[in-house]
Amino acid sequence: MKKIRRLSVSGGFSYLYLTILSICAVFPLLWLLVSAFKSSTEMLANPTVIFPKDWTLENFKTVLFTLNFTVNIKNSLIVALSTTVVATFISALAAYGIVRFFPKLGNVMTKILITTYMFPSIMLVIPYAVVMSTLHLTNTRIGLVLVYMSFSVPYAVWMLVGFFKTVPIGIEEAARIDGANRLQVFYKVVLPLVAPGVVSTAIYVFINAWNEFLYALLLVSSSSKTTISVAVKTLEGADILNWGSMMAASAIVVIPSIIFFCLIQSKIAGGLADGAVK
Amino acid sequence: MRERRLRGGVNGSSLTRWLFVLPALAVVVCLLIYPLVSTVIYSFTNKTLIRTDFDPVGFENYIRILTDEDFFQAFGNTILWTIGSLLGQIVVGFVGALCLNRIKSRVGKNLFRICAIIPWAFPAIAIAMTWKWMLNGIQGFIPSLLMQLGITDGMVQFLSDPDLVLPTLMMVNIWFGAPLILVNVYAALQTIPQDQYEAAQIDGASGWQSFRHITAPHIRIVVGLLVVLRTVWVFNNFDIIFMMTAGGPAGSSTTMPIYIYNMGWTGRMVGRASAASILLLLFLVLLCILYFSVIRHWEKEEK
Repeated sequence: MKKIRRLSVSGGFSYLYLTILSICAVFPLLWLLVSAFKSSTEMLANPTVIFPKDWTLENFKTVLFTLNFTVNIKNSLIVALSTTVVATFISALAAYGIVRFFPKLGNVMTKILITTYMFPSIMLVIPYAVVMSTLHLTNTRIGLVLVYMSFSVPYAVWMLVGFFKTVPIGIEEAARIDGANRLQVFYKVVLPLVAPGVVSTAIYVFINAWNEFLYALLLVSSSSKTTISVAVKTLEGADILNWGSMMAASAIVVIPSIIFFCLIQSKIAGGLADGAVK
Repeated sequence: MRERRLRGGVNGSSLTRWLFVLPALAVVVCLLIYPLVSTVIYSFTNKTLIRTDFDPVGFENYIRILTDEDFFQAFGNTILWTIGSLLGQIVVGFVGALCLNRIKSRVGKNLFRICAIIPWAFPAIAIAMTWKWMLNGIQGFIPSLLMQLGITDGMVQFLSDPDLVLPTLMMVNIWFGAPLILVNVYAALQTIPQDQYEAAQIDGASGWQSFRHITAPHIRIVVGLLVVLRTVWVFNNFDIIFMMTAGGPAGSSTTMPIYIYNMGWTGRMVGRASAASILLLLFLVLLCILYFSVIRHWEKEEK
């Protein structure tokens, strides 16, 4: 009797707390979206009215056609996709190598990973800028993709090691006996088994590359090559700016990120907890 | 079979083994270790972004920085920003995880979970621009609402009032970071065997007692590691502050990364910016050593 009462009280508090938390969490997204569909007169007239009376696509038109954001979207897609392919490939090889051939290296690697995680991007960017200008890579998308390996690969290796550990060695031995070489074992036997993990890792790499700001701001300056985050930031200084266009531009950045994130959220969260426990 | 495996282990495979890890090692060496080494070297020189030649200057950069008032203001701001953001994130996220754990209905659980993690998926630029717009001092939603409700007399200038700017940025960071804590603490809570709670209940333990003696010891290592990772992230965070205030007004929200940016990029003094970076990194390393000694102590207790 007593137990039931206590649980129902705390249950009520839980619902209340989580409802408030959810509203706080979701409201900025809602505000971003509704602002993107409001006309500027309506925004000025009623700053606290949530939903617009007339939904308009004017802001999106301005952003995509007058401000040429299509170019920036294309740049971001090129950079993020190339980063994803290259980083996932390198990391999958490394993660498998660590799990199968260098199990002891795994522990050392975790330490290296945490250490490199401490390096501030603002520290790394100066040497990058110096090296890239020597190699004539400043202002190129290839240069940016290379630099993005610095944060993609370590994290992807860490995530993938967790997935590769679940593959039983017996399967591989059987394939070896059947005459497959190491590389064949890797991509014909092991890779299909961890495919879901590889996909989540790839999505995570993509989100981070898509969202990146600092390197894109400091290493690429010509406006035909800037990525979308930087383009949104430069919008602030433009005469044409009204907050509606700004929110429309932000919506274009935020939507892919949120969709992908929801797809993989259970995987990345679990990974961190598992990795931490072991 | 044994022979075969042995042969596979010797013949050619030591090279193949390395081929697997070599590309990733190259990334670590070229993109992480090399820049660190060159930053250390630059920090003892008068290198600038414009000239290619430079001379060693000994400890001059370090002395200049450690006698710079702005450096200490930036350092103080960083500490405030880190502690404030982190405490808020942990409290909000931790309570959220405990609440989520109490909820029985699967649908409710998933719904709250998805809603609560939305901020975590926001790119930095979208965080900055959305909040800037919501906090805008002329037509922003929040100041307008506060005024309409009669809580404030005028429009509050959240981002241009030197006393309000840092707490406002911390609120934004708490909004962004609490979901990560929530989801991870919640995942850790699932690893606690339920029968321990039942046993405690039979023994007449109160809710607080079972939290202290069962929940806390089980999840403290995960939470500890989370705190380490979040500390580093918040400490080094450049994007949110740079895009929302660029360190202003008048340096009142300048943290260490912004200070380094101003010195190295705006001021073009690479040598001095490098020295500041190394000081920042050293501080973080010391902090992490401290954290890890606590976590290792917990791990020993568990065994």
